[in-house]
Amino acid sequence: MNVISRDASNYAYVNARVKSRRAVLFDEDDYRTLMRMGTSEIARFLEESEYEAEVNDLGSRFSGVDLVEYALNRNLAKHFDDLLQWSQGTLRDLLVRYFRKFDAWNVKTALRGVYADTDPAEIEQDFIRAGELDDDTLSVLAEADEVRTVVDALSETLFGDALDDAYGEYEETNSLVPLENAVDLAFYDRLLKQVQGTSAGTREFVKFLQADIDFRNVRNAVRLARSGANLDPAEYYIEGGRLFEPSELDALADNWNELVARLRDSHYGNELADELDELDEAGSLIAFEHALDAALLSYSKHLSHVFPLSVCPVLGYVLAKEREVDNVRAIARGREVGLTEEEIEEELVIL
Amino acid sequence: MFEFVIAFVNAIAPLLNNAALAPAELTGNIATAGAALGVGVAALGAGVAEGGIGAAAVGALAEDEEFFGNAILFTVLPETLVILAIVVIFII
Repeated sequence: MNVISRDASNYAYVNARVKSRRAVLFDEDDYRTLMRMGTSEIARFLEESEYEAEVNDLGSRFSGVDLVEYALNRNLAKHFDDLLQWSQGTLRDLLVRYFRKFDAWNVKTALRGVYADTDPAEIEQDFIRAGELDDDTLSVLAEADEVRTVVDALSETLFGDALDDAYGEYEETNSLVPLENAVDLAFYDRLLKQVQGTSAGTREFVKFLQADIDFRNVRNAVRLARSGANLDPAEYYIEGGRLFEPSELDALADNWNELVARLRDSHYGNELADELDELDEAGSLIAFEHALDAALLSYSKHLSHVFPLSVCPVLGYVLAKEREVDNVRAIARGREVGLTEEEIEEELVIL
Repeated sequence: MFEFVIAFVNAIAPLLNNAALAPAELTGNIATAGAALGVGVAALGAGVAEGGIGAAAVGALAEDEEFFGNAILFTVLPETLVILAIVVIFII
């Protein structure tokens, strides 16, 4: 479907439900409690929270950190399915398009799993079933015995052409980076092309996406600059952001201070003063990336307040929910491998 | 919308039926028509407002039944517009 439908959206209904769900997300105190717990205690904590149904369902088959992880993924998929079920009209169209990012995530999971020769059952459990790829396709992806099979299985999807083009490079380098990059580019390219040129209802969605792309470009550039690998940042540049040109980003990636100054001067500057201070102080790449995450989350929150009857609050909630799942997963994993509370806290993005 | 149309027709009908009216009577009828129009438009506005609020209220209720009191209160709040408009009828 290439045309955004023009019938009425039920923003008021969906946003009321989303606000209510956002209110029960874990807060700083919950995270502090979780950080003091062992993995089985974390599972029990989740059982008494939002995640009750999933933990009970999976409790007989898994335990410890596996249980936590699978329950988190399943709960995430359930919430996002709910969003699609409630929403109508333009709102639904935009959400369907945005949720293809989980298809991108699943494709990357399959590629990595098959590349590393992981057990198909384990790959399947890592999928987040909130996108458009159906269960049959996902099973085929998980059970593939080589990367080519995954690429072929996706030939009819939006990732097909991009993966096909990148496969040659994968064979040359034996690295998954070109394929993963092709997946991301295909997702954003399709998303923006379909949304552009449409009217007022989608303007806020475009704004949100542009922020997402800008921050992703910053992250990719900084990662490339830090990795020391001799890769061309222009190849990883995602079109559609408002802030950077590929050449400019290349120069800024080496110099965090200038990068932050540039963000501060941009339209993100006003809302993100605190987060940008954190970015300024970030010593490590991980801290920098987390500060970027926090900045994007904060910007999405800002958009939700400025445009309450639009798709923005819903997308803000999607980001916040993803962040919660990441945080709980990081705590459970961290506790399992015996990290200290301070070390785990560095891994979290709390807003 | 429907209320608006009915109110308008009710107000206009006597005007059309009595071709030869005294000037004072004509002024009175026009005033009634205006008041009816006011009530109709106010009802239309209230309806539009209640549509959005009602949808949000039902959404909130679906998540948590404790919102019931607030949901009812906010849903009927725009109805005050219509009551104020009806007051105008008695004033003119």
